[in-house]
Amino acid sequence: MTSLKTPLHHITAPAHVTNANVIMREDPFRGHLNLRGNPQDEAFTRAVAKVLGVALPTQPNSSAEQGTTRIYWLCPNEWLLLVAADTQAQVEADLRDALAGQHVAVTDQSSGQTLVNLSGPQVDDLMMKSTVYDCHPSNLGIGKVVQTTFAKTGAIIHKCADGSFDLVIRRSFSDYFFLWLADASQEYGLRVT
Amino acid sequence: MSQHNRLAQGGRIDRNQPLSFTWNGKQYQGYQGDTLASAMLANGIKVVGRSFKYSRARGIFGHGAEEANALMQLGVGKETIPNPRATQIELFDGLTASATNGWPNADFDLMEWVGKIGGKMMPPGFYYKTFMWPEKMWMTYEKFIRKAAGYGKASLEADPDTYDKMNRHCDVMIVGAGPAGLAAALEAGRTGKRVILADEQNEFGGSLLASGQTINDQPAVEWAEAAAAELAAMENVICLPRTTVFGYYDHNFLGALERRTDHQGMTAQSGTRQRIHRIRAHQVVLATGAIERPLVFANNDLPGVMLSGSVATYVNRYGVVPGNRCVVMTTNDSGYQTALDIVAAGRTVVAIVDVRHNPEGRLVDAAREAGITVKPGHAIIEAKGNKQVTDAMVAPIDIEGDKVTGQPMSMSCDLIAVAGGWSPVVHLSCHTGSRPQWNDEVAAFVPGPTLQQQHLAGAIDGEYSTAGALTAGAQMGAKAAASEVHNQYDCGDESICPAQAMYLVPHTKPVSRAPKQFVDFQNDVTAAGIELANREGFESIEHVKRYTAMGFGTDQGKTGNINGMAITAKNLGKTIAETGTTIFRPAYTPVTFGAIGGRDIGELLDPARHTAMHSWHLDNGALFENVGQWKRPWYYPKAGESMQQTLNRECMAVRRSVGMVDASTLGKIDIQGKDAREFLNRVYTNAFSKLAPGKCRYGLMLKEDGMVFDDGVTACLGDNHFLMTTTTGGAAGVMSWLEMWLQTEWPELEVYLTSVTDHWATCSFSGPNARKVLEKLCDDVDLSAEAFKFMDWREGTVAGIKARIFRISFTGELAYEVNVPANQGLHMWQQIMAAGEEFDITPYGTETMHVLRAEKGYIIVGQDTDGSLTPQDCGMHWVVGKNKEFSFLGKRSFTRPDTSRDDRKHLVGLKPTDPTVVIPEGSQIVADPTQPIPMDMLGHVTSSYWSECLGHGIALGTVKAGHHKTGDTVYFPLADGRVLAAEICSPVFYDPKGERHHD
Amino acid sequence: MLHIYCPYCEEMREEEEFSYSGEAHIARPLDPESLTDAEWGDYVFFRTNPRGLHHEMWNHAVGCRRYFNVTRNTHTYEIYETYKMGEQPTVTGGKS
Repeated sequence: MTSLKTPLHHITAPAHVTNANVIMREDPFRGHLNLRGNPQDEAFTRAVAKVLGVALPTQPNSSAEQGTTRIYWLCPNEWLLLVAADTQAQVEADLRDALAGQHVAVTDQSSGQTLVNLSGPQVDDLMMKSTVYDCHPSNLGIGKVVQTTFAKTGAIIHKCADGSFDLVIRRSFSDYFFLWLADASQEYGLRVT
Repeated sequence: MSQHNRLAQGGRIDRNQPLSFTWNGKQYQGYQGDTLASAMLANGIKVVGRSFKYSRARGIFGHGAEEANALMQLGVGKETIPNPRATQIELFDGLTASATNGWPNADFDLMEWVGKIGGKMMPPGFYYKTFMWPEKMWMTYEKFIRKAAGYGKASLEADPDTYDKMNRHCDVMIVGAGPAGLAAALEAGRTGKRVILADEQNEFGGSLLASGQTINDQPAVEWAEAAAAELAAMENVICLPRTTVFGYYDHNFLGALERRTDHQGMTAQSGTRQRIHRIRAHQVVLATGAIERPLVFANNDLPGVMLSGSVATYVNRYGVVPGNRCVVMTTNDSGYQTALDIVAAGRTVVAIVDVRHNPEGRLVDAAREAGITVKPGHAIIEAKGNKQVTDAMVAPIDIEGDKVTGQPMSMSCDLIAVAGGWSPVVHLSCHTGSRPQWNDEVAAFVPGPTLQQQHLAGAIDGEYSTAGALTAGAQMGAKAAASEVHNQYDCGDESICPAQAMYLVPHTKPVSRAPKQFVDFQNDVTAAGIELANREGFESIEHVKRYTAMGFGTDQGKTGNINGMAITAKNLGKTIAETGTTIFRPAYTPVTFGAIGGRDIGELLDPARHTAMHSWHLDNGALFENVGQWKRPWYYPKAGESMQQTLNRECMAVRRSVGMVDASTLGKIDIQGKDAREFLNRVYTNAFSKLAPGKCRYGLMLKEDGMVFDDGVTACLGDNHFLMTTTTGGAAGVMSWLEMWLQTEWPELEVYLTSVTDHWATCSFSGPNARKVLEKLCDDVDLSAEAFKFMDWREGTVAGIKARIFRISFTGELAYEVNVPANQGLHMWQQIMAAGEEFDITPYGTETMHVLRAEKGYIIVGQDTDGSLTPQDCGMHWVVGKNKEFSFLGKRSFTRPDTSRDDRKHLVGLKPTDPTVVIPEGSQIVADPTQPIPMDMLGHVTSSYWSECLGHGIALGTVKAGHHKTGDTVYFPLADGRVLAAEICSPVFYDPKGERHHD
Repeated sequence: MLHIYCPYCEEMREEEEFSYSGEAHIARPLDPESLTDAEWGDYVFFRTNPRGLHHEMWNHAVGCRRYFNVTRNTHTYEIYETYKMGEQPTVTGGKS
């Protein structure tokens, strides 16, 4: 759909980077659904698991993944569901059906934020420059997800299995995010793929 | 000029790599491995600057952070850095430095004569006492005083370099890589824990780099090199040389400044010049060592008087002997080692003047065996010379060190090395609020109790022997890493003869009459000054500090404080422990503003938030206004238009046809849950119980004090589902305010809030032709006035995109807000612009929006209100629910006596008497402009604009009891002398019956 | 820079993630209209400002957005405990 524009659609890679040690890749148009509910309520967790095909992670700072669906724990009664592009409306409807009558909230945020992957040999250094959170593997293990600062804005940071970082950033801050990223990675070399 | 003080061999410099540098316009040579100070000393440069207050000639005195005199103006132009210490500047080829002060130059300084003539008349507080009268002249005096005194100058040009910050986390942070720090790091490192080791010098080793000792039968320097290499090879250890830990903050948080390229040249060729490491550590080992104390005798500030350990460092580490004939004065054994080093370097030690009457033992014997004259029970009571030392006046003293007991004799010399004992570097420990404690055994302050997870190792704890420091380091490193000690250390015989404390060297004359005896070189504080301060009643050490300036500035009392405190204690007949210390504060040594700013400069200073349509606004010439962090189009000037012309055009387009504003920045909160209505009833002044799906309602939010806090329109999306909008600037505050009530007071309410501000893009278009525009784009909603009323919302398809259409108006015209997911926001905006083309649809910005709403008397929270207006003050009784069951937030405050007063400031309309006038916003309002100043203020103008459609200026403002003064004329005395007048009127200037937006 | 344990995220986080929200355990009166002006004014305007032990409310603003309580020493900045909304402190009084 040509009418769609992801928050980072206009970003172009810095010119003449031969040796990129930080790589940015936007995963555009993912479905982002915010889910609220009581994890102690089995009716809630069962229904959600049935719709999503994967159980809600209830441990703080944890995530769950099944196929193209990923779930981030945000707080004891809040999750971010990342679903395949263009499926968010269906998933939202399915959840509303399955959770009818329960004290829950399902909110589409697909246009309000975007998913960005940061990788490369010096991505750890970049993260040290950018967030106050300790992204060392001993503290941010694979699959762990935290909401914290990123430069002067916030981000949801998820450590991926390949050692890279998935970040969820807010649309309105995305220009600032990229401005920061380009600046902070200048000494390492940045490639946008 | 040759490096005539350079030794032919020895030291950690590379004689095969000569480097040229310029000092005060003259070219010199040094070597790779030199500091600027060691290279200057090698070249025999004596005077390096002038003192702060008395403009006395000063020379290099120390070799590191303790240096108080050799502050440089490094580099020129935009690269220049004011006030780094020459002792901490690594020499590079082409380095340029000059003295920071001295007029016309440091070597010949006119102010010195002021100091000499006025010296006796310049006690502490001199400038303030003298130049404060007459008061108005201080500004004039100050200009001259500042020019003559003070230190370096910052560049006024932009710094070409890059600085940044890194957030680091570790298990064990070790500060200082001398023997204790290295030993600690080796122990902690081998456990696999995450370790950071930082040292301010270019290479690890600290005192070992200038030591002739052995460690486990290995030369100390070699051991240090091996230890550094071993640590560098450990993946879990981060080694940060050239890194000064400048601050130690709460909960084991430390700030460290890494100088990454300063040693390579004035600017970094690439990358980051300096980096601040923000370190959160589980455990901290402080191995910051000790600083040698100077001795306070007459003229002890003459160039050529140096710290004994510094002299030894120059000899052993840099291959430089700062003089040919040296007199050593000592209170302890360290002076003997320096004397032995000087003799080994082939220079003359005239005598070791030892204040102790019976020094004995290993080093004393060695000195005597080397043929050095030892003068026990003596002191240098005065140095003689003009701009450099030529003689030391040596006299016998009593056993307490209080009195001169015989005739002084003169010893000819060009160097006096002073060893007054060691002061542990307790600064970092102090930063978190821990007061140092006096330790009689080592005659020094050591770190006191602390709440931090902090361990002390080595000289900072009064452990001055190398083996002791290594052992303590190993113990503390292991302890911090929760492990057992692995390494043992033996450094041979390090036995010493006990030291004698001496803080003020007696003179034949009383302190007040003797030549100046300096305590704090950087701030020109003398023993006589302290005595005067004490006599004038300043007894608390904190007061003495502030009266005399002792320990101020970049020096932070590194060399002077202990002597000053001891002198105060003696003057007051107290012990040093009773007198105590002042508290050292961050930064330990100065941190450049470049590093403090890091990358948060320019465009990165504050995030700019953009809407989905931002690129369109840019492409169409919008100028932007900051609203919170948002960049909102302010107005869209066409070529040749003035701002007012643009606003007139944009306003009239809305009033006559149609205009569009990007309203995406308004805060949007999605509210779901069966108690959502109840929640809204509680947080808004009006009722939401009966708001049906498909309807919108304006709401006003108050703080508990009854004052307006935010406003916005809330739409009912479903029985248990609402969408609240907030002001652009208030969005985050409202969200956390609402969350707070839900989480802390009303957890029983089944309501969830989710911010959707960024998800929705909002195209708000209004004007008589608004419906016609929408009709072209939307055919699945009945847009007729009867079916889709003012304050309704509908879901429909606009330009092929599923949208929420709100029929709400902030302009007073027929208006629609089309909301679509922001990924489609730009597309929607473009489609509406295209559809509106035949109606000359005009994009407008915040300024036109402000004019249009002011014509309608709609408030802007935060502009017309300032947290001191109730809804009633704003004339908005209509939005306050009278029969709501729950006492909504702020309601109870309405009946407080102050809030229910009838003469509070009220928000009113103001119509200028002269229709061509636009009253400046912020103008004060008075009833009688002829009243003498101070006039009775009635209030002020909060909003004021030219209204093109009405043909006159309009304003809103607060006026005391304004609601009862309709028709009165009030006045606005302006700063330029004009007095404007206006009539108090209804704030609704345009379409008072509200017919247009209902059409 | 404080290091604060978020009782909801169950780990230590940096101070930058949090915002301070005033004194803890200030309950909104259930029936404001029945209060005297003085009682209401006390609730709205007056807070303790002790040197030493203090129960405070903080918000994990950049994290999980939960409000929680902190028992902190306003003099030494030592944090004795953090606890969830609705819970009571275990450290009270006595310490300075």
